[in-house]
Amino acid sequence: MKIAILSGKGGTGKTTVTSNFAVNINNSISLDTDVEEPNLHIFMDMKEAASEPVYTLYPIIDKELCNLCGKCGEFCNYNAIIPAKNQVVVFSESCHDCGGCKLVCPTGAITYKKREIGKIFKGRSKYDTELHYGILNIGEMSGVKIISQLKNHPNIDDKTVFIDSPPGTSCATVEAVEDVDYAIIVSEPTPFGVSDMKMVVEMLREMKIPFGIIINKAGLGDDEIYLYSEDENIEILGEIPFDKKIAELYADGKIFSDSLPEYQNFFTDIYNKIIEKRRLL
Amino acid sequence: MKIAICAKQAGLDSLVDERFGRAENFTIVDLDTSVVETVENIAKNQASGAGGEAVKLLSKYSVDVAIVPHLGPKAETAMEAFEIKTVSQEDYKTVGEVLEAYKSNKLKEITKKKGLTRL
Repeated sequence: MKIAILSGKGGTGKTTVTSNFAVNINNSISLDTDVEEPNLHIFMDMKEAASEPVYTLYPIIDKELCNLCGKCGEFCNYNAIIPAKNQVVVFSESCHDCGGCKLVCPTGAITYKKREIGKIFKGRSKYDTELHYGILNIGEMSGVKIISQLKNHPNIDDKTVFIDSPPGTSCATVEAVEDVDYAIIVSEPTPFGVSDMKMVVEMLREMKIPFGIIINKAGLGDDEIYLYSEDENIEILGEIPFDKKIAELYADGKIFSDSLPEYQNFFTDIYNKIIEKRRLL
Repeated sequence: MKIAICAKQAGLDSLVDERFGRAENFTIVDLDTSVVETVENIAKNQASGAGGEAVKLLSKYSVDVAIVPHLGPKAETAMEAFEIKTVSQEDYKTVGEVLEAYKSNKLKEITKKKGLTRL
């Protein structure tokens, strides 16, 4: 059972929700796929992480074989390979490693070389749960490969996996939520929160992923989120109040249901509700 | 010899565009025949790599000199690979003013800053 936690707008509480699930659901694995700025490992207090590099490929041109026909440049959607006057220019950092330029090259002048774009860290948290996260090197354009390597975990299929997703609806978010069984949108009841959430709703519907909403910082903002959810027939799984105690624990790097046990049932109940929904499908 | 100027609209009275890769149009002037032509910059809506794509476009029109605002590192590398000389448009406001300034040798060539690794 894979459950993605996403939001649209940043800073609505994805990591807060993910970490609270991770510590309350036995035997779960959590993945932080927000590889541009991962922070789940900080809240989970991760110990002794093993790291592995993540590579991507980029084209190398054999000048002897290249006849400057231009086909590779016409094919590339990202202008990563540009045949010019007497040479082919390759911008390795723009390459999405699709393999297309090699396929269209009539003279077999293209081979690929790998370069490191980031790392994956695997370890256990202070709460004795398994935790993996990735980090994208500064200056790199796409974390998709790192996310796909994070999700390519040997026993991911028979465990409960919580995936802390990147904000927005970019390629990275699509990669993070692909193939999940259920998605939880964490939104705050503010105009920005609702506006960005609508894009996520559209994306999840397109991807045919069932989902529900957890409203975080409930009590803030206005009632648009409630009206929208009712109109769109979207289930509100639960609400976390806009509470100074929770904010203080967050600021202290703590997982709030660990310090406020009255919230433990909040997360286990939502989890059980999701399991029940999946069973009925 | 052909020169290209980044332009908001067609014609010599148009304002210059302050971006290269995402310029609205390029006004291309053939200095030998005085033919002026404005072409739409097809690269302007590219998600990424607009600079390189725009250089490709100029090369297709056999441009020898591009008069540009600031150039990004990829556009700079591509200009060099296509052997297009780059000259700064400085603070001139219209395409016509830039053209006159170029003709009277008031514009400086942009020397390569060299930042990007090319592989």
